[in-house]
Amino acid sequence: MKTSTADILHEYGPFPDVDQVGGVTFDGRHVWFASGDRLNVLDPATGDIVRWHDVAADAGTAFDGTHLFQLIEDRIQKIDPATGRVLSTIPAPGGGSGLAWAEGTLWLGQYRDRRIHQIDPETGAVLRTIDSDRMVTGVTWVDGELWHGTWEGEESEVRHIDPATGEVLERLQMPDGVGVSGLETDGADRFFCGGGNSGRVRAIRRPRRAT
Amino acid sequence: MDSLIAAAARALAAGDLLGALNRVALRDDAPALALRGIAMARLGDFARAKTLLKNAARAFGPKEAVARARCLLAEAEIALVSRDLATPAKALDAARATLERHGDRLNAAHARHLEGRRLLLIGRLDDAEAALAAVDPATLPPALRTAHELAAVGIAIRRVRTEEARAALARAGQAAGDADIPALTAEVETAFRVLEAPAARLVGGSGERLLKLKDVEALLASGAVVIDACRYAVRDGRRTTSLATRPVLFALLRALGEAWPDDMGRDALVKSAFRAKEADESHRARLRVEMGRLRAELRPFADIVATKQGFALVPADKRPVAVMAPPVEESHADVLAFLADGESWSSSALALALGASQRTVQRALEELAAAGKVQPYGLGRARRWTTPPLAGFTTTLLLPGPLPGG
Repeated sequence: MKTSTADILHEYGPFPDVDQVGGVTFDGRHVWFASGDRLNVLDPATGDIVRWHDVAADAGTAFDGTHLFQLIEDRIQKIDPATGRVLSTIPAPGGGSGLAWAEGTLWLGQYRDRRIHQIDPETGAVLRTIDSDRMVTGVTWVDGELWHGTWEGEESEVRHIDPATGEVLERLQMPDGVGVSGLETDGADRFFCGGGNSGRVRAIRRPRRAT
Repeated sequence: MDSLIAAAARALAAGDLLGALNRVALRDDAPALALRGIAMARLGDFARAKTLLKNAARAFGPKEAVARARCLLAEAEIALVSRDLATPAKALDAARATLERHGDRLNAAHARHLEGRRLLLIGRLDDAEAALAAVDPATLPPALRTAHELAAVGIAIRRVRTEEARAALARAGQAAGDADIPALTAEVETAFRVLEAPAARLVGGSGERLLKLKDVEALLASGAVVIDACRYAVRDGRRTTSLATRPVLFALLRALGEAWPDDMGRDALVKSAFRAKEADESHRARLRVEMGRLRAELRPFADIVATKQGFALVPADKRPVAVMAPPVEESHADVLAFLADGESWSSSALALALGASQRTVQRALEELAAAGKVQPYGLGRARRWTTPPLAGFTTTLLLPGPLPGG
C-alpha cells in the first residue's frame, strides 16, 4: 500500500449561500455539487458558480453521461441536468453518503456502516457490498479503479481500494482539518473533493500510473 | 455526510422538528442520537434530550472530539434552562477548550456565553462579566448575539446601571430583529418591562414611594446611606456592606433607619429584632451587645448613639438615610426573586444560588406553595419549583448543530 500526502491543486469557494458541500460530480466540463437545497454548477476554469437548480441535495451526486443522480434522505433521484426536473426515484435503504456511476450501475457509500453498495439504477436493489475499514464519504470510479473518501473527526483521506476484496491499495492523506465529503474525478489527472462544512470544493492531483 | 442525517439536520434547522425526528427515529448511531436529542430539547422534553445527548457523546468515536464537545455543549444548555446549575461547569469548560482547539469559534463562543449566563444566575457577577467579555458579540450570529446582550442587561440590572442596561437592551432588540425569532423578540420586550417596573420601595418617616431601577440608581448616587432590605445590605454609591448572614443586625438597622432622624426606644427595638412580646432585662443586655456589633459593621457609613429612650442612627457627614424595601413586602422575597424569572428550579439549585441550606430553601418553598405563590412539579430528586409565568427572563434554546464535517 502506498501512502502519500494529497497534493491540493486548487481551492474553489467559499460561495455565497453555500454552507455545506455534499456530493460532487463532473459532466466533462462543469463540476456539479450538492449544497443541501441546491445543485450547483461550478466552472472549474473560472471558479464561479454559473447556475444552479433548487432541488433537495443532501449527499452524494453522480452523472451517467446523460442524467444526474442525487441522494436525498433515503432515496436517489434521477435529475435532468438541463432543467433540474426529477425524472424518477429509486429507494436507497438507510440513506447514504457518496454516490458514483460506473459500469451501468450506481455505487453508494454508507458513512457509518463503512461500506459501499453496488445498486441497480432502475430498482435500487443491492447487487453486492464492499466493506471498508473507514467511514465512507464520496465514491468514484476512474480507469477501472475504485476510490472513496473517508472523514473521521479531523482526519480525512482519499483511498484507492480493491473492489473485489476491499483491500486498501493507495491512500492520499488530506492536511489536518481538511475533510473530503463528495469525490469525483475529471477522468484524467484530477479529483474534485467536496469540503463539507468548509463550503469549498478542492481539486487534488490523481497519482500518475506507471505505464 | 449521510443523506438521512443531512436531511434531518436540514429539517431541524428549518424548525421542522417532527420531520427531523421521522428521518432518524429508528437509528441509534451517534449523529442520529445527537439529532434526536436536540429535537427533543426543542420539543421541551429535557430529560429525554439529556439522555439522548449523553448517549450520543459516548457513541461518537475517539476521533470525533468536536462532535462530542457539541453534544456536551447542548447538554450544558439544557441543564441551564432546566436550572440544573450544580453539574455542567467543568464539562462545559472542557468542551469549550476542545472547540477552540479545533477552530469551531462559534460554538466555543456559545460555550463561554452559557458559562456567563450560569454565573449570572448563581449571582457571581464579576465572573459572569469576565466570561461574557471574552466573547466579541460582533462575531456572533443574531440569535446568539441577542442572548449575549440580554445577559449583559441582566448584569447591568443586578448592578443597578440603568444606562448600561438600556444600551445593551437596545442592542439586544436590534439583534432579535435581525434573528427574526419571535420568542427572542418577546424576551427583549420582557426585559424592557423589567426595566420599567418598580424595582424597590422607599419607606421611612416621609412616607412610601415606589422606585424604578433608574430611581434606585439615582438614590444610590445621591450620597445617602441606603439601608437595602432587598439585599440585606447597607450601601451608598461607593461601598456595600452585606448583612445577609446577620438577620438580627439587619432588623435592628432597618428599624433605626425607618425611625431616622429620630431615635427608637429600646422596647420597640427588642420587639422588632428579637420578636419578643415584652422586653426584659436580658433582652436589654442582648440589645446592647447587638448594637455594639452593628456599630462595628456600620463604621464607614454611620454611627449609633445611645439616647435616653434607646438608640439613634447618626450617618457620617450628615448624609440622609433611606430605607429601601422590595416593592411588595413578602416573606421569602429572596426565594421569590429567583423564581420570578419564570423558569423551574430545583431546591438544591436555589440553595446554591442563595447560599442557603437546602432545608431552609425547602421550608421557604413549602410556605410559599401553601400561599399559592409557587408551584412544585415532579417528585423526589426531580422535583422543580416555578412561579406562574408573568414577568422575567425565559431562556430560548440556541442549541448548536451537533455534527462535524459535511
